[in-house]
Amino acid sequence: MSKQIEQESMKAPAEENGRLLTDKDIRKCAWRWCMSVNGFNYETQLAPSVVFSEADALKKIYRDDDAAYRDSLTNSAKYFNVTPPVAGILLGAGLAMEEKNGTAALGAVQDLKVGLMGSLSGIGDAIIWILIPTIFGSISAYLAQSGNPIGALLFVAVNLVFSLGVKIKSWDLGYHFGTQLVTNLADKVAALTEAMSVLGLTVVGALIPSVVKLSTKLTINIGDVSFGLQEGLFDKILLGLLPVCATAIVYQLIKKGVSTNKIILGIIVFCWLGAAFGFIG
Amino acid sequence: MQIAVWQIVVITLLAFIYRVDRLGTQVCGHNAVLYAWLVGLILGDGMTGLIVGASVQLMSLGVAALAGSSVPDYPLAGMVGTAVCIMTGQDEGVGLAVGIAVGTMGVQLDVLAKTANVFMAHKQLEYAQDGQYEKMKAVTLVGPVLFGLTDAIPMLIVLAFGGDVVNAILSVVPAWFTKGLSLAGGLLPVIGMGALLTYMPAKQYFSFLAIGFVLSAYLGLSILPVAILGGAAAYEVYKNLTSRIAEESIATAEGGLEDE
Repeated sequence: MSKQIEQESMKAPAEENGRLLTDKDIRKCAWRWCMSVNGFNYETQLAPSVVFSEADALKKIYRDDDAAYRDSLTNSAKYFNVTPPVAGILLGAGLAMEEKNGTAALGAVQDLKVGLMGSLSGIGDAIIWILIPTIFGSISAYLAQSGNPIGALLFVAVNLVFSLGVKIKSWDLGYHFGTQLVTNLADKVAALTEAMSVLGLTVVGALIPSVVKLSTKLTINIGDVSFGLQEGLFDKILLGLLPVCATAIVYQLIKKGVSTNKIILGIIVFCWLGAAFGFIG
Repeated sequence: MQIAVWQIVVITLLAFIYRVDRLGTQVCGHNAVLYAWLVGLILGDGMTGLIVGASVQLMSLGVAALAGSSVPDYPLAGMVGTAVCIMTGQDEGVGLAVGIAVGTMGVQLDVLAKTANVFMAHKQLEYAQDGQYEKMKAVTLVGPVLFGLTDAIPMLIVLAFGGDVVNAILSVVPAWFTKGLSLAGGLLPVIGMGALLTYMPAKQYFSFLAIGFVLSAYLGLSILPVAILGGAAAYEVYKNLTSRIAEESIATAEGGLEDE
């Protein structure tokens, strides 16, 4: 758009303390951001949800300057994708910049978003989409196997805080403190992620023999003595050896890039063969 | 068992809400056990829901849908699996197989919704530039409706026809077919285990994998005490790592001074 419009709108938001938005406005953006991935499309990814959540706050910033408001909306509609619960840090910081400098800040807002999208998602994905589901998902599944739903409910409680709670709070943080937060936290979060993977691995080690159920019906005949591999060996001495082998094979297949769907199909076929010929059971 | 109309309506609605929450509020999205359990409770058999949900949950570990990628819809698989088990009275493995098949096909609908949303995004921008701001906001709601339907439709089809179709198939297939599926039900959690290990630094921290294994397989500890021990180990590792980072930053700061 033309320079003239930009200059006009630069004057508009210059109020006394520079604040046009209240904490309530920011909170409203945060709740509307619960649209998140529901606005996902292959072209601009989460951008429609950004427009949806910021529209009212931006209106308050630009008030009667319709041209500036449209420019700002058009900018919000540009490609955006960050782990939704932490996205508010960037979006809140962007709002603070637009509040201060109007449409003159649009370029900087876009640079900020594009520049930090990747690293912020790296942090967010690792903790919110991998660590938490791994730890609380496995506890919940383990307890559910014996008919106890408490683990699933605990998982809900944890996500209320770490997913929804953080999603709302991150807008406040971004708006008030900007993005220095992200760079300050990056080191600590990397250490935390690595440390939590120790917890994750311990849990996986314990899960393998208890949730992967594979046993054999094969017997070894030495002279007159018949020796059941399962009862004689795998249940007494080499506990959990078969589940461990199965895990190792699947691990290798995934590492080689075989798709999970193919592995699932392979396992079902293997079990059909096992049932037909009676070597597993 | 024959299911009532209200049960079909409530479960279909649950599938819709599940999807909108998974993408939006993001509180229960990865919680296959929860949804399978709820479907079980609605159909009068919460226990079956928990068992099917547990298998699906274990499979899904380490298989996260990041950056807009499409992965099998595991919680839907859990809901479908539970419904099929209860409707047909068959074993967990049969439900699981149907559930996974539906959850995998559901991905096609997911791709469709994400493509259709491109048109929504264009429309939204058009309204914005036309100054029709209320329409601009309203059109965004097409997104959750589309996504909700991608789970509600398959769920509805399964509830309406699934029981009869599965029973018709099972009446003609040989015994090893159902036996094999029930064996697969026990073995399939291995998918999640394998996927997790590729995500985590399994080689670097192999010892902890071994420790967890021994605690469970040989000492018979359940998962909670193991998780507490793992948490203790994680805390030590965290302290070590952060103090190393602090030392390094001091070292570089001092180094900088000496150079001057």
